[in-house]
Parts: sequence; C-alpha cells; structure tokens
Amino acid sequence: MIPVRAYWRLLNRYLRPLRARVIVLAVLLFTGIAFQVLNPQLIRRFIDRAQQGAELGELLTLAVWFMVLAVGYQLLNVTATYFAEQVGWTATNEMRARLAEHLLDLDMSFHKTKTPGELIERIDGDVTTLSNFFSAFVIHIIGNGLLVLSIVALMWREHWIIGLAMTGFASLAMYGMIRLQAIAIPWWREVRAKRASFFGFLGEQLGGTEDIKANGAVPYMMHRFTLLHREWLPLEVRGRFGFSLLWATSIAVYVFGLGLVFGLGSVLLHDGAVTIGSVYLVFYYTDMIRHPIDQIRTQMEDLQKAGAGIARVQELFNATTQLPETGEAFLPSGPLAVDFDRVDFSYRDEQSDGEIVLENLTLHITEGRVLGVLGRTGSGKSTMARLLTRLYDPVDGTLHIGGIDLRDVDRADRRARIGMVTQEVQLFRATVRENVTFFDDTVPEDRIWSVLFELGMGDWVSSLPLGLDAMLESGSGGLSAGQAQLLAFARIFLKDPGLVILDEASSRLDPATEMLIERAVSRLLADRTGVIIAHRLATVERADDVLILERGRIVEFGPRELLAADPASRFSALLRTGMEELLA
Amino acid sequence: MTLPRVRTARLGWGLIRFRKGRYAINALIWASMWLMPVIPAVITRTFFDAATGDRTDAPTVPMLIALVVAYAIGRISVMIFGMWNDAHLMFRISTLLRRNMLERIFDLPGAQAMKESPGDAISRFRDDVDENVESFAWTVDMLGIVLFSTVAVWMLVSINALFTLAVFGPTVVVVWIAAVSRQRIKRYREAAREATGKITEALGETFGSVQAVKVAGTERSMVAHFRRLNDHRRTVAVKDKVLTSALESLFWNTISIGTGIILIIAASAMRAGTFTVGDFALFVYFLGFVTDAVFFLGLFIARYQQASVSFARMVTLMGDVDPTELVRHRDLHLTGELPEPDVVPPHLAPLEMLSVRGLTFHYPGSSDGIDDVTFDVPAGSFTVITGRVGSGKTTLLRAILGLVGSEVGTVSWNGEVVDDPATFFIPPRSAYTPQVPKLFSMSLLENLLMGRHDPGDHVAEAVAAAVMTPDVAEMPQGLDTMVGPMGVRLSGGQIQRSATARMFVRRPDLLVFDDVSSALDVETERILWERLFRDRSEVTSLVVSHRHPALQRADQIVVMAEGRVAAVGRLDDLMKTSPEFRALWEGNGDG
Repeated sequence: MIPVRAYWRLLNRYLRPLRARVIVLAVLLFTGIAFQVLNPQLIRRFIDRAQQGAELGELLTLAVWFMVLAVGYQLLNVTATYFAEQVGWTATNEMRARLAEHLLDLDMSFHKTKTPGELIERIDGDVTTLSNFFSAFVIHIIGNGLLVLSIVALMWREHWIIGLAMTGFASLAMYGMIRLQAIAIPWWREVRAKRASFFGFLGEQLGGTEDIKANGAVPYMMHRFTLLHREWLPLEVRGRFGFSLLWATSIAVYVFGLGLVFGLGSVLLHDGAVTIGSVYLVFYYTDMIRHPIDQIRTQMEDLQKAGAGIARVQELFNATTQLPETGEAFLPSGPLAVDFDRVDFSYRDEQSDGEIVLENLTLHITEGRVLGVLGRTGSGKSTMARLLTRLYDPVDGTLHIGGIDLRDVDRADRRARIGMVTQEVQLFRATVRENVTFFDDTVPEDRIWSVLFELGMGDWVSSLPLGLDAMLESGSGGLSAGQAQLLAFARIFLKDPGLVILDEASSRLDPATEMLIERAVSRLLADRTGVIIAHRLATVERADDVLILERGRIVEFGPRELLAADPASRFSALLRTGMEELLA
Repeated sequence: MTLPRVRTARLGWGLIRFRKGRYAINALIWASMWLMPVIPAVITRTFFDAATGDRTDAPTVPMLIALVVAYAIGRISVMIFGMWNDAHLMFRISTLLRRNMLERIFDLPGAQAMKESPGDAISRFRDDVDENVESFAWTVDMLGIVLFSTVAVWMLVSINALFTLAVFGPTVVVVWIAAVSRQRIKRYREAAREATGKITEALGETFGSVQAVKVAGTERSMVAHFRRLNDHRRTVAVKDKVLTSALESLFWNTISIGTGIILIIAASAMRAGTFTVGDFALFVYFLGFVTDAVFFLGLFIARYQQASVSFARMVTLMGDVDPTELVRHRDLHLTGELPEPDVVPPHLAPLEMLSVRGLTFHYPGSSDGIDDVTFDVPAGSFTVITGRVGSGKTTLLRAILGLVGSEVGTVSWNGEVVDDPATFFIPPRSAYTPQVPKLFSMSLLENLLMGRHDPGDHVAEAVAAAVMTPDVAEMPQGLDTMVGPMGVRLSGGQIQRSATARMFVRRPDLLVFDDVSSALDVETERILWERLFRDRSEVTSLVVSHRHPALQRADQIVVMAEGRVAAVGRLDDLMKTSPEFRALWEGNGDG
C-alpha cells in the first residue's frame, strides 16, 4: 500500500503555510474539471439534433461553444500549473532546508557513515521526487480523480444501468492500480538506494583524482564503477517491470470500457432507452476517462518514486542525534577552566563497539593556562579536542568547562565560547567573506577586515580585485595551505572564545609563514585557556602545562618547566630526541 | 556560463549505434505500439455505423468485443517486452555516458581535473545523463509516429479529404510555434540546471566539512545560504515548467479546436446523412492520436534542445576534448564475465636519472606557479624540495608527475623525454602521496591495494614501513576495517600513513612525498625515514619537506622561492651560501 497517511502528514505540514495559493489552485482545478465534463454534453446534443435535422445555426452555435470551453480549459490549465509548481517548489524547498538543518544537527557518528554524495542524493534527489509528488499529486491525482468521479456521476444521468456499470468499472480500475503500485514501490526504493550509493562513490572519485592517477589506480576504480553498475542493472530492469504492470492495467481498463459501451449501448439503443447521441456520449466519456486514468497511472510512477523518497526522507528525519541539545546554562565570561573527570571514550557505531580511545582521563586545566598535548597519532589527542567541542560526549565520566557540565551548556553559547582550528581547512566555493563568516551576513565588514589585518592577510585580500567578495575555489584550489590555515584562524578570531583548541593547527606551514601566525596565536591565547594538540615540540613551547597521552591514558602531566627540568620525565626525554635531530 | 556548441544529432547518432540491435528492436516495438490503436478505431467506427443502420454487413457485437479483447492481450504483451528491452538499452546508454565522462576526467591532469566542484560535477553525471537518456528514449517513437500518421491520414482522406485538411491545418501551426519557442526553452532549462548544480555543490561542500561547520556553530547561516540557492532555483524551475506546460496546452488545444472544426464543417453533412456518426467517431478518435503524435513531435523538438544543453554540460566537464569522446563506444561488461582490472605495465627501464629542465607552469588566470625549474634526481638519491608557503613546491611535484599540464620544459627519464608524464609516472615507475591524501569508502586493505594483488607480504611490509603496524593491530577488524567516506574513521595521521603505505605497496622506483610529515609527530616521522633508508636504500625519493630530519638526510636540497629554484645543494653548502635556506632552517626552531 502507499503510505497514504505519510503523504498526508507531509502535505499538511508543508502546505499549511501556503494555504492561499492552494485555494487558488483548487478553484482553478475545479473550474477546469467543470469545463472538461460539460464539453462532451455539447457533442451529444449536437449529434442528436443533427440526427433530428435541426437548423444549421443551432448546430454551429453548439460547435462554437464547444471550442470556447475547450480553449478556456487550457488557459486554466496553464495557470494551474504555475500555481502547482510554485506550491510544490516552495513546499519542498522548505523540506530540503529543514532536512539539511536536521542532518547538520546530527552528531559526527552519523556523518562518519554517510558520504556527502549520498546526502546530496537524499536531500536533493529524493526531495525532488517529492516535488514532482506535490505537483503531480495535486494536479494529476486529485484533479484527475475528481474528473473521473464527475464523469461517473454524469453517466448515472444517462441511464442507471450505464451509471452502475461505469461506477463498477472505474472503481475496479482504480483498485487494480493501487494494488499493483504497492508491489512496485519497494522495487523503486532499491533502485534509488543503489543510485545513491553510486553517486557517493562518484563523489569520492572526483575528489581524489590526484591520488588515484598518480598511484596507477584508474583501472581499479573503473572496475569498481563497473561492479556498481552490474548490481544496479537488474534492479533498474525490475523497477521498470513494475511500471509496465501499471501500464498493462491501463490498457485492460480501456478495453473493458469499450466492451461495456458496445454491449450496453447496443442493448439499450435497441430498447429505445437511450439515443445514439447518448451512446456516443458514453463512448466519448469512456474514451475521455482513459486520459485521467492514464494520467493517474503515469503519475503513479512519480508517486512510486516519491513513495520510496518519502520513506528515505522520513528515515533521515527520524535519525536522532546522540547529543541532544537541551542545555540552557551559559558559560562564565573570561577564560574557562577545563575538568575531565574519569572520562572514558570509544567511537561506537553500527559496525563496532569501538576500541577504547580515552580511558579514565582525569585532568584539570586552570583558567587562562595553556596546555600542550603530546602523543603519537591515535593516542587520543584529537579525540580530546572533539570532546571539548562536544562533537562527541564522553561514554563515561564527565567533562566540565567553566565549572558547568558541557552537556548542560546552551549550544550557541558553547560555540561562541569554545573555538577550534583543525588541520583540515575546508573552503567553500564562495567569496572570501562567506568563507570567513560561514555565510553569516550579519558580521560587520570592518570587523572582518580588522581580523584579516591582524592575521597579516589584509594586504593579500585587499589586493584581490573584488576584495572580500572575491570567489575562492572549493577544496583548497585557489589558496596555498598556509593561506587556507590563516583563513581558518580568521574564522575563530571573529568569535571571542574563552577556550581555544588548536588541533595540529600549525602543521604544514613553512617556518616563515608559521612565524607570521605565531604572533596571532599568542594574541589569541592571551587571557584565554588554550589546548594545543601538537606533533612537534616547538608547538608546545608556549604551553604552561604539558600532557603526554599514550593509548588514551595519561602518561605524564605537569607544568612544562618542571617536566623539562626533571631528567627522568618523558618530556625531557622527548626534548632530547628533538635536540639529537638538531645536532645530528 | 557559456556552453560550447555541440552537434546533438551527431552525438545522438553515436548513441544509437552503440547498441544497434537493441535499438532496432526498440524502434520496431514502439512503432507497433504507435500503430496498434488503428485497430480499435476501425472497430469503433464499425460499431457506430451498425448502430445507426448506416452499415448492415457489420460483425455482431460479441464479435467486436472479442476482437477488442484480443487487441488488448496483444498490446500488453508487446508493451511488456518493449519495456524490458527499453530498460536494458537505456541503462547501457547512461552507463556509457557516465563511464566516458569518468574515464576522461581520469585522463585530465589529476590536480586540476575539473573546473567544476564535485557537487556540480555530480549533477552532470546524474541530471544531465538522465535528461539525455530520456530524450534518447524518445527517438525510437519517431518511426512509429510517422507510420501511424500515414495510416491515419490515408484513412481519413478516404472518408473526406476536405475535412481532413481543415482538421490538420492547426497542427502545422502548433509545430511552428514549438519551433519558435525553442531558444527560450533552452535558456530556461540551462538556468534551471545551473541552479541545481549550485545547490548540489553547496550541499557537497557543507556536508564535506560538517565538522568545521559544527564547531563554528554556523549551521543556521549555512542553511540560510542553502535556502537562498533553493529560492533561486524555484524561480527558474517554475518558469521552465510553465513554459513547457503552455506548450503542451497548445498541443491539446489543437485537438479541441480540431474537434470544433469537425463539428462546424460536418454540421450540414451530418444533417444530410453523408457523414455518419461512425465517421465522426473515427475523426475525433484519430484526431486525438494524430495530435498526440504531433504533440510528441513538438515536445521532442523542445527536448532535443534540452538534450543539447545537457550534452554541452557533459562535454564541458570533460575538459578540452572532441565532443564525440562522450559517446565513444566501449565494452561496459554489465553482464557476462567481468575482466580483472588491467595489470600493471611491464617495467622496462629502471630509473637511473630523472632530469627536470626548464619546467614552467602557471595556474590559469593566476601568476602562481613555477618558472624555469631545472635539477636532476639520480637513482637512489634522497632529494628534498623546500621553500616558503606559496613558493611552488607542490606545484613543482605536480608538474613533474603530469598532475598539472606544464607549459614549457621537459622531464626526462634516463635521458629520454617523457611525452605524457600523467600516464608515465605511475607504478611501477613512481608513486605519490599528495599533501592532503584521500582515502576511499572501502576497507583499509582495499585502500592500500587499490586493485593490486598482494603477492605475499607486500602489504604487511608496506604497513610496517609506514609505521602503521601498531595502528592496524588496534583496529577492530585490522586491515579489513572500513575507513568510512574519504577515510573519516581514521585520524589525520593514520590517513597520511595509510597513503604512505599505499605508495610503498606499489614498490615503485621513485617515491614522491608531498610533505608527508605534516600530520606526523616527531618520533613517527623519524622512524619513517629511518626505515626508508634501512629497507629501501636503493629507492629514489623526491620529497617536499621543511623539517630538519628530512633536510639532514638529503643528498640534495632544492630551495624554491617564488616559483623559481633559489639554490640547490647539500645542507652544509646551503647553510653557507643560501640566505633563503638559512632563514627557513632557523625559522624551524627545534622541530
């Protein structure tokens, strides 16, 4: 069965704000239907009067009226299309936006399992089938459904036997189609799922051409391309078979109707119960009813796709975040203290429970102090940063910032007061301004400029022909890694955080450029609590405290100068290795 | 955006010839599907003529009903077979288009393959392919339309030639109007597609950087931006749809107007009894189908224009290329035995000397790039390229490997100039780890091998050499762990070392690292270089780095400044002779 109720819920939620336009649309549709069903009555009258040998003038008047109604109907139809499209796009745009917003609010464990390509296919691809659904459903299913009903009603007017036969005929036709559709929907759903995974694959390929080419993996990737298509083909064929079942029903319906006209028509005509004009009218209506039923049938294909789309969109809407944003507390002003209290963490998802990444981590950072975190990759450093920005919650134990459990902090406040710069800088194909503000157009221009100049980027940006409105390429195409990194700093400088996390922030910068931002980092860390997650000893030089992590556990933690002075400490050992490299 | 002119018909013809057999069957089936409605038309006319007594030799009513049922069974069988064949044919056509595009993108210089963002490119792979295949599917209907129209017109003329002419007059007008509207439809369609491209692009970028968006807390402004793009698309899409609907209405109007004309001109003939109700029924019935045919033809003309937009967009994606490459025939291997991916080409000339001479490249529309770079890399040497940000280090590697197209200068392998570096510099000659390496949504092992067969312990060795063994041991499924989309389940350092291992697995003569150490800590990096020197002393390495451990081991350091070679030499020499190098070295502190 089509989930009629699911359709209705969707319609209701997204169409309510568009009430006025929906009403206009309905009026246009009803008038159009009236024009359509009245027209054949004129033909009936024409035939009967012609057979009776009426005046030519009367016949011509009927013919002209016929044309007027016909042209009028088409005009109504175009206007109705305009309104239906407006309503359809407005409603689905709302759905796209809400879906995008909902997905952005889901936590990272969701995003780790979905490629951007797949989400594109879901938010735009699936919702676009819903857009067809809105216009198709309103114009074609409701409009044509009403048309069928009016035609059946007018049949009763001719003769009750004809009325009865047509009612049975039309109901049987509709019923058959709805049943068949239920068979075909799951088939289409699988086609769409396969499509989505193919476009996910494709997105990765297009983003990784450099890696693929230079490592000679092009043949392999084309092989995978073929494999995906081999799985897709049988699904596509089966989906199309579902569609032919519906078309077959439509043909059967038409022939059934024709048989009825022939059988009933000849009997009733013979009895003198109806005129030849009436028989022609019944014939014309059965032929005419084919068009709306055909249209309904054609639109069933869209409806099938939409049914699959609705199910998938609903599934996404139903996905819930594991990090509910219920906090209402505000962080204190100024630098923020950090307290990890017996924190355990592992990355859990459908695939695995996840290995322990952080184990029994207890740590206090006094407000205003800067902590340098050292450790091998995979030691849990990056995870610490993700917990501090609440991309994840601890599995066990608590994390307090500024004395408040991070889970209880208001989302907007948390994001304003805790800033992070990561190694990966994601740029958008948009202007410099939009890249720095993340499309927030309320940030004043002079504020952006002052930040850019503070970072030593001002001259570069003002040298661009369009300044802040210059377009950047996506990825990091147009910018050097250093410039991209500086832009990421600019993003954070626009806020006034009380806690700053620099996750491998200064890597991949050459020493000269690095020195340029060293000063800026100092400014950023002044009067703020800092957590610097570093791979290099140079980076921790500005730290007050040093933490060394190994496999999610603290192996050493203390004031930097004390650790450096203690020859037995790991930190001093590390410093010596660093020195060895220098002296070698 | 200006799109190139493509010859739609030529490309369409290329697609038709791709699967000639299936296409011929399709044309035959859909021609008969168009022709079949003549049968019920004749039956209906017979019925009415018998009912009014205009015809006395007609078959009985039960006979007529039996004929109609037989017709239905025939039509349904033909249709189901036709759909099956159509699904197969269309799927192959779309696969061919997508395959040709992807192959060609892989042919382009890898680091500047597309001007379009991945999201926009996906829309061309998805929407433009769909659009084109739809238009293509319609071409098979053309034969049927011609056949049906011929039969129908012949039957109508035999009833009354004058009436036929009067009725068909309007349809000519319709086709003419459709032709006039062509340009406009093309424009709207282009705008609508472009708007969709922008939307997919924005979505791709937003979800590609979802972590950054979340940390910055700017979900709302990102969504607001997305809403603006959607609004724009709504405006253009509605224009497109309304125009299409207006065109359709024109076609339908011809039916009504045609019926009206029949009523007017047949009025006196019907009174006189020279034009029967059966004739009238046949005229009206055929009018519907004939106008259907003309309507279809008109829409096809409009569609043809839309198809040329889509063709142009697909061709643009493929870079500067002969448009017929888009429809180039090739075996798709959708059924039957699937050949294994191509084996690695035999390795004929082990590296003795790699020579770079006068290499010059600039990114289009920018002064960034490299100028006149010359140096040699002898086999077995460790060459480090260093320099400030923006000095052209990465660009130099890319230009050598053919990942960007060089303008001037040559790269030679053992003294022989390499004509097409992009296809030359692949394993087993060389392998490469870019600055921000990309992994793919499959298992770690598949990411390392990418289609190669491990003849024993290459993977284990490569993993060990990349200092990755402890990480793999701790992963829940070891090498079979799925790394997630673009490798997100791994840490930055793990991605970096996985990419390094991916390079080692290939055992190339020349290893090219672009700043492999950027995501590695001191210890890990030191171990990496140590193992490389211990186990692979014969291998040649070309490395971008500014770290001391790399510079100290270098047999040769190439110092880049503003796209040019500032100095070449060993560490000791450069410390004495190159102020630029000294600044870089000292700026590096104790790292």
